[in-house]
Amino acid sequence: MELCDLSAYELSLLLRQRRVSAVEILESCLRRIAQVDGRPGSLEPGEPLPEDAERVHAFITLTAERARAQAEEVDRRLAAGEPVGLLAGIPFTVKDIFCVKGTPSTAGSRILANFVAPYTATPVARMEAAGALMLGKVNLDEFTYGSSNESSAFRPTPRNPWNLDRVPGGSSGGSTASVAAGEAPLSLGTDTAGSIRQPAAFCGVVGIKPTYGRVSRYGLIAFGSSLDCPGPIARNVVDAALMLQVIAGPDPHDSTAANLPVPDYLATLDEGVRGLRIGLSPDYFRITFPDAVRGEYDQQPIPGEIEAAVRRAADILADLGAEIVEGVPMPNTRYGIPAYFVISRVEAASNLHRYDGVKYGYRTPQPVQDLHEMYRKTRNEGFGLQPKLRILMGMYVSAAQYSAQYYQRALRVRTLIRRDFEQAFDPQGKYRLHALLTPTTPTTAFRMGAIYGDSVLMQYADQLTVPANHAGIPGISIPAGLDGEGLPIGIQFLGPDFSEALLLRIARAFERATEEAPWRKVKPQVLQRLAA
Amino acid sequence: MTEYEAIIGLETHIQLNTLTKIFCACKADSWYDPPNTNICPVCTGLPGVLPVLNRAAVEKAALLAIAMHAEINEISYFDRKNYFYPDLPKGYQISQYDQPLASGGYLDVPMPATPERPAYVRRVTIRKLHIEEDAGKTKNVNGRRWIDFNRCGVPLVEMVTGPDLRSADEAAQYLIRLRQLLRWLGISEADMEKGHLRCDANVSIRPKGADYFNPKTEIKNVNSIENVRDAIQHEIERQIREVEAGRTIEAWTLEWDEDASVLRKMRSKETEADYRYFKEPDLLPLRIDAAWKAAILAQRVELPLERRQRFIEAYGLPEYDAEILTGERALSDYFEQAVRAYGGDPKKVSNYLMNDVLRMLNESGKSATELRLTPQYLADILRLVDAGTINTSTAKALLQKVEESGRSPQAIVEAEGLAKVSDESAIRAVCQEVLAENPKEVESYRKGKVTLIGWFVGQVMKKMRGKADPTLARQILEELLGTQE
Repeated sequence: MELCDLSAYELSLLLRQRRVSAVEILESCLRRIAQVDGRPGSLEPGEPLPEDAERVHAFITLTAERARAQAEEVDRRLAAGEPVGLLAGIPFTVKDIFCVKGTPSTAGSRILANFVAPYTATPVARMEAAGALMLGKVNLDEFTYGSSNESSAFRPTPRNPWNLDRVPGGSSGGSTASVAAGEAPLSLGTDTAGSIRQPAAFCGVVGIKPTYGRVSRYGLIAFGSSLDCPGPIARNVVDAALMLQVIAGPDPHDSTAANLPVPDYLATLDEGVRGLRIGLSPDYFRITFPDAVRGEYDQQPIPGEIEAAVRRAADILADLGAEIVEGVPMPNTRYGIPAYFVISRVEAASNLHRYDGVKYGYRTPQPVQDLHEMYRKTRNEGFGLQPKLRILMGMYVSAAQYSAQYYQRALRVRTLIRRDFEQAFDPQGKYRLHALLTPTTPTTAFRMGAIYGDSVLMQYADQLTVPANHAGIPGISIPAGLDGEGLPIGIQFLGPDFSEALLLRIARAFERATEEAPWRKVKPQVLQRLAA
Repeated sequence: MTEYEAIIGLETHIQLNTLTKIFCACKADSWYDPPNTNICPVCTGLPGVLPVLNRAAVEKAALLAIAMHAEINEISYFDRKNYFYPDLPKGYQISQYDQPLASGGYLDVPMPATPERPAYVRRVTIRKLHIEEDAGKTKNVNGRRWIDFNRCGVPLVEMVTGPDLRSADEAAQYLIRLRQLLRWLGISEADMEKGHLRCDANVSIRPKGADYFNPKTEIKNVNSIENVRDAIQHEIERQIREVEAGRTIEAWTLEWDEDASVLRKMRSKETEADYRYFKEPDLLPLRIDAAWKAAILAQRVELPLERRQRFIEAYGLPEYDAEILTGERALSDYFEQAVRAYGGDPKKVSNYLMNDVLRMLNESGKSATELRLTPQYLADILRLVDAGTINTSTAKALLQKVEESGRSPQAIVEAEGLAKVSDESAIRAVCQEVLAENPKEVESYRKGKVTLIGWFVGQVMKKMRGKADPTLARQILEELLGTQE
């Protein structure tokens, strides 16, 4: 067992006992990166190399020197007996959608490839202030628009450490791949429709989408501003709680950040689930999608292995004293994706307006006649397929003559989705749930290239995660077993606003109860190969 | 021949004089600063930044709304107005759209009498009053476009009137009253030359008495009230000529060329741009709750036209005096303080202010609050005159001396021996001197040119450096000139 395979919590203990140094922890992570990551994503990757398919490719930019300076500072403080932060000496990776001062902050797009941020995003600044070591910027879908990482302009794109032919999920795929492969114990991701939870499920790690506003968005390059949530990715629930503790809280730079104190997530982590009411909903055991030709909704049950993993988790929680409530109706779940299609694209198109070649980022090198030609060429050459699709759709549905039909209507649907949750969690209501237990994803990790290009089908990968973004409520995805092909299955707990402490407690109870489960002993493919 | 009336609506942009910008901590006013010096990641729209609302901008805008008799909405929203322009760094302007800060409102604009018609009041309704951020400035030099982002994020109020104005004069009077109000409230420097107050005018004409609207043109880029008046007047005349010639008015956007005094066509306005407004997700709804509203209302002050009316009624001032004294808030405060300190006839205070103090202000460029001649000192001087201690010409000189030295009038009078000389023998001696030195004038007087008495008084005053009691001097002179007969 290498240092880099230990949890953040274990590393913290070793560091405080002076049994390891921050530099040693860092060196271990850098060795792992050198062993498994392969070449970093690049705009000019050239021909694919045979070894590309054997590597994880999580990183776009490795900031080893920055991390080393931070590690030396932690070691100096410890040696001098000075106080250190909660995450002192713990390496973390940052999804390259966050601005970090002095680093290329690319959003996985050609249009920002040369943009070096002059300021640092609040959650990253808080991690660094807590003593964590910023290892580098990891790959993602371009501007976070995707669920597989295949849309990044930086290639090779990340692969799933559990099976290198599979996608890591997305859009925080570089983050979850880096954590699953032991390159860093923690990563900072973002979740707009499931972009933390879905890749966490695919890569067999823990991912939290906090309540909207629990973690500041300042410095997060915006996708859907009313949906975006930064959140932690870790290998276990304790580490995720530690990281959330550090990044959550009010921020004078973000007026949508909640002005609520952050509870001590670790203090209640081991309080168990006795007496908690945990719901199961039939609407989360199937996916519903429109048939483009007939215009009707089709339903498809999720794979039996995934439903079985959820039901097994429910049984375990019941054994621990939770009350399982079956048959909770969540009837508007099916509208989550269509409403998201509209809302996120209106916001995305507007958020992309600033990339115009005027101030920073890419500008067409071709000669232009006038300003409008400069705009057109810059944006045509700088943006990949996914941003273009979102601009087209967003501009269409927000046009004056269509806005009422699409955008305003989608906002009403959003209210209905939130109402489903309010009714389920209402302490005076029929169900009085503390949390809802669902599968995180309708499938396990799919093959690279299998559905990329079908943006509608790709979108339905988010059907079980996007309702939480519409409603603004928190969700956590944790590993709950492996399917027949050895791919991780994720389960999700959803709770009312600011119930992160409770969700972490439930997730932790499940994690402890399954510590000895055989699937917990299975290592990702890349790590098995290392051992061999 | 058809008689036409003009239909005019004004769209104003008012730069609020907050210290910092509306969504970041950069300095708001950059008039004296080089380009791109008051900027930060937020106001230049870098990736990942978020706006944070400056409450002072909201309060200043609310004060204006209250003064315009508009209703402050308890909840209003910010919206994104999306369009591409190099000096708009985010590609959208944060503005307000269908649920703005305030609704309704009006300004009553007094129109002074002219030889052709009596005075009247024009009520100008307010169609729109909202807060927004300013964009940057673009300058074209030698085919290159230079952009200054200093102005990005400067807080503005956009205020649009109904089509209520009927002449270029009315439009000018509206702007004069608006400028006065903005300065009075202390919410904007309201200097059109510096762009603190910007105005676009929508102009159309119709046969007098008609109840429909014809297509209108929009006049942009006018940077003084006089130019607004000129541009509108030109446009009204042009439209009348066009219609008389049987042509139709097209909805153009026009630009005023100040140097040539002509309007130039900027573009045809065939279709309205689609700004794809939607609610700004990066800002919370703006909620002005009862407590905040009360705090804003507590800052409400008596408005210029209200004070003008009170000066007429309470102090018996002529309308002319009241108008001038309420031109600026500091001057009207000065007047009231002086009246209170003096306790005598307010008209006397007004006379001193209108003649002497105003000149002093104009010459020094000071505001009334900056004068060393305080309202109390002015009142002291008036009382010295009333008590017969000094004469009026000494009083006028004293105003200047107090202003220059900052010392009290009493102290100066004592130190310089300025008290009026009422000693008859002293005056008589000077009078005799004057008569002896001017035999020709004495002869003329005695031959019947009695108007020369004023000249003799003047000579005596000159010799006595203004300190003589002029009434007494006159009596003595008449006596001396008479007895020699």
